[in-house]
Amino acid sequence: MSEQSQERTLVTLTIDGKEASVPEGTNLIEAARTVGIEIPHYCYHPHLSVPGNCRMCQVEVRGQPKLTIGCNTAVKEGMEVLTHLSSEAVRKTQAATLEFILINHPLDCTVCDQSGHCKLQDYHFEYNARPSRFLESKVRKAKAKPLGPEVILDGERCIMCTRCVRFCDEITKTSELGMFNRGDRSEIGVYEGRELNNALDATVVDLCPVGALTHRRWRFNTRIWFTREIDGICPGCSTGCNVKVASRDGQIVQVKARLNDNVNKEWLCNEGRYGFHRFLPENRVQAPSIEGRDAAWEELQGAVSRTLTGKVLVMLAPDLLLEEYDACQRYLKGLDAETTVVLAYRERQLNDVEKVLVSPDYAANFRGAQFAGLIEGDLEAQYTNALHEITKGAFDAVLMVGDHAIDAAAAADEQLWTEEVWGNTALVACISDADSVAATFARVRIPLSTILEKAGLLVNRYGWLQYTGQILGGRTPGRAVWRVLQLLSKSEISKAVTDRDRTVEYLRSESRLQGVTVAQIKDRGVQLDALTGDDAQRGSVAS
Amino acid sequence: MEPEKVIEEVKTSGLRGRGGAGFPTGVKWGFVPRTTGKPVYLLNNADESEPGTFKDRVLLERDPHLCIEGMIIAAWALGSEWSCVYIRGEYAYPYVRIQQAIEECYQQGYLGENIFGSGFTHHMVVHRGAGAYICGEETGLIESLEGKKGQPRIKPPFPAVAGLYQCPTVVNNVETLANLPWILEHGGAEYTRFGTEKSPGTKLFSASGHINRPGVYEVELGYPLLDFIENECGGVREGYQLKAVIPGGSSVPVLRADELEGVNLDYESLREAGSMLGSGGFIVMDNSTDMVEAAVNLAHFYSHESCGQCTPCREGGHWVEKILTRVSRGKGLPGDLELINSVCGQIGGHTICPFGEALVTPALSFIEKFPDEFTSRIDEVIRGIERRRETLNYEIEGAAH
Repeated sequence: MSEQSQERTLVTLTIDGKEASVPEGTNLIEAARTVGIEIPHYCYHPHLSVPGNCRMCQVEVRGQPKLTIGCNTAVKEGMEVLTHLSSEAVRKTQAATLEFILINHPLDCTVCDQSGHCKLQDYHFEYNARPSRFLESKVRKAKAKPLGPEVILDGERCIMCTRCVRFCDEITKTSELGMFNRGDRSEIGVYEGRELNNALDATVVDLCPVGALTHRRWRFNTRIWFTREIDGICPGCSTGCNVKVASRDGQIVQVKARLNDNVNKEWLCNEGRYGFHRFLPENRVQAPSIEGRDAAWEELQGAVSRTLTGKVLVMLAPDLLLEEYDACQRYLKGLDAETTVVLAYRERQLNDVEKVLVSPDYAANFRGAQFAGLIEGDLEAQYTNALHEITKGAFDAVLMVGDHAIDAAAAADEQLWTEEVWGNTALVACISDADSVAATFARVRIPLSTILEKAGLLVNRYGWLQYTGQILGGRTPGRAVWRVLQLLSKSEISKAVTDRDRTVEYLRSESRLQGVTVAQIKDRGVQLDALTGDDAQRGSVAS
Repeated sequence: MEPEKVIEEVKTSGLRGRGGAGFPTGVKWGFVPRTTGKPVYLLNNADESEPGTFKDRVLLERDPHLCIEGMIIAAWALGSEWSCVYIRGEYAYPYVRIQQAIEECYQQGYLGENIFGSGFTHHMVVHRGAGAYICGEETGLIESLEGKKGQPRIKPPFPAVAGLYQCPTVVNNVETLANLPWILEHGGAEYTRFGTEKSPGTKLFSASGHINRPGVYEVELGYPLLDFIENECGGVREGYQLKAVIPGGSSVPVLRADELEGVNLDYESLREAGSMLGSGGFIVMDNSTDMVEAAVNLAHFYSHESCGQCTPCREGGHWVEKILTRVSRGKGLPGDLELINSVCGQIGGHTICPFGEALVTPALSFIEKFPDEFTSRIDEVIRGIERRRETLNYEIEGAAH
């Protein structure tokens, strides 16, 4: 998006007296954003078509007799725009629009899941805040209408912004939803014989600016203000969707998509959204163990260096952090063995809706491992080949880093997981899931923290370097890979104390990322291919 | 005659759109870009749904060939190969008539490929609406024709640039198109000999209400309104007096009998009088009419027909209807009329399409023109409450003694 805008000519206008220079064709909502003015809106979404139906974004344009909607008005040279900050007419209209929206709204904020992050509450507080003059009876509609397996509609709360309808029409192109009836009896619904059931369908809940659409599995979970909300990156696949994860008492209670024009717009697939639990094993590896007995962390260095000799296969999970891959690279350099490195990468088939967003893998950070110089070439062939080699006894030892160093198909491979294979090949497993097959056959077990319990960098399929926060807080029995490797290594890998230190330390040490700051990465990501001049894989999710 | 010449001729005639807005037809045609490479569509708006308007119906029933001839002329001028008559679903017989007439035209070679060897191809279809008022709004009509829900689009882009299937589109009213054959035959200048300077030509008026001879009348624009009632409409019912007139369909402001002196039936005179010519739906009301009930009736119609797309009209229309209904049923409260005025002010001018204005106009003008009828309804309620309170006080005082 940024590259495109540079090509377009700039138009200069004033908004509330502030001068703004934006690319030709920009609408007034986006133009105002560039000078720090928020024009309130419900129906407008930067990545959906513009219906102009909520009427909330009306602004005054000098010289025009009527107010105009900001979402459908393109900037013009010399245009003078007045928002609620400087126009009484705009303030009155916004208040009027909110009054209208609320007359038939049930105002059941006390039991509404949206309460606390609701645009109706926020805007009413900010732009109207008057008692209603409506004395008549409200229109009644269905309060709990399931639209599909994941999403349920409260018709009374709906404000008819049609974001959900447009998402299904324009993004997934499945068109399950429509607006039925007329006037104040209008209601969102599914067409006869259809249900809202596609790979991205729960995104409509994120898009809903009010509490009309909710997740069937997350309704009435908790008040949002009791949760801890962290900006993270979905580790489900290498698209690297930006998410906001709300947790309470170590339990994930809600996952929302976060807007990032470069990566996922504001979409999120159901598999990613509802799949965060996949990264939290039920039974954790609680302490290090050597040959089946519990061991102290200090004993590990000796045991591991004795084990990892001769021909060593290093199996990496595809969802480690970039800092961790860097630590792996440093560790392997100091290791006195003949090492082969593979990363668990397997392509999968996607349906048409998934293709809009999802990447054909479960490898969140395989590009990170490539960037760290650990792997290159045909990842899937190397991985499957290595699995085959293990069964033939080609390696003296295997170092496995991360739970997903073995993918689901390999974990179910009965020929691989036998006493015979692992009696001859020594397995050092850095994992968190105590129930996994690797845990059963490991000679040395080292507890790791999961991707949800640490903060750091990920590189998505299209080369966007992104930062994920620590989604779950609290104590964990495991440690991050870089801490473990520091412990195992004879030479120094990292001086860092916290995750944040480690990220900063890494950015300083990596010559290709000179001048890149964490703040920059957190904002909208940093395009690595632009930095390294490699345009081959550049691109983003199809819009 | 070359297409440009046809457009010139229509511009000269000063013909204004007969559907209600009164926009000059030639100018509207001039907005259509000629170099896009896309097809140009001509749509004949026969979704005549404005209460009190039934002139297009007469044209379609009695002279469908005139309508078709007008459409062919317009299509030639615009370079359109495909046109459509969008007719309201309730018009069953007019639909049959226009459909038959089109078939006849195909048989006789007036429509089809390479008409009479001219190299000009034109096809015409009839599409029946499903009975929504809003499909008479040109972009609502286009959406409906595309197979979607009839909801007006935001403008820009205007239909002349991106209309049906995002192609340049002209939407003209039946009566507008029916004027074209005459204009082309006699010349645009000849047409201006009728009517007034700014309202040239003649116009069909659908006269209804408390008159002796309701019907559709063609009169020259500029014709005195009271003469129209007396001569064409045969005057108000015996024994009753004229109370009010809605001169241009239910969405234009109502005029009181005392405001009608010297008012003529043309665009500028009616505007001066505070109303509009609109679609020419001429509704006459005598002194038997309860204006509160009439306002409720219209408010109900408009709130029912709101498409529900944009907030002010969807929510506000029903709000106004609910307050008016309450007032009419003797449950009005002091401040209700001010509330209606305020709510209407929040709707008009803030909606996607002009329906917002259409919706508030009857309510606002009825209250403005006949305030006593509304306030007396509310006062009756107040008096009733006070009476009850007096009784109550008396009883309490009586008990104390």
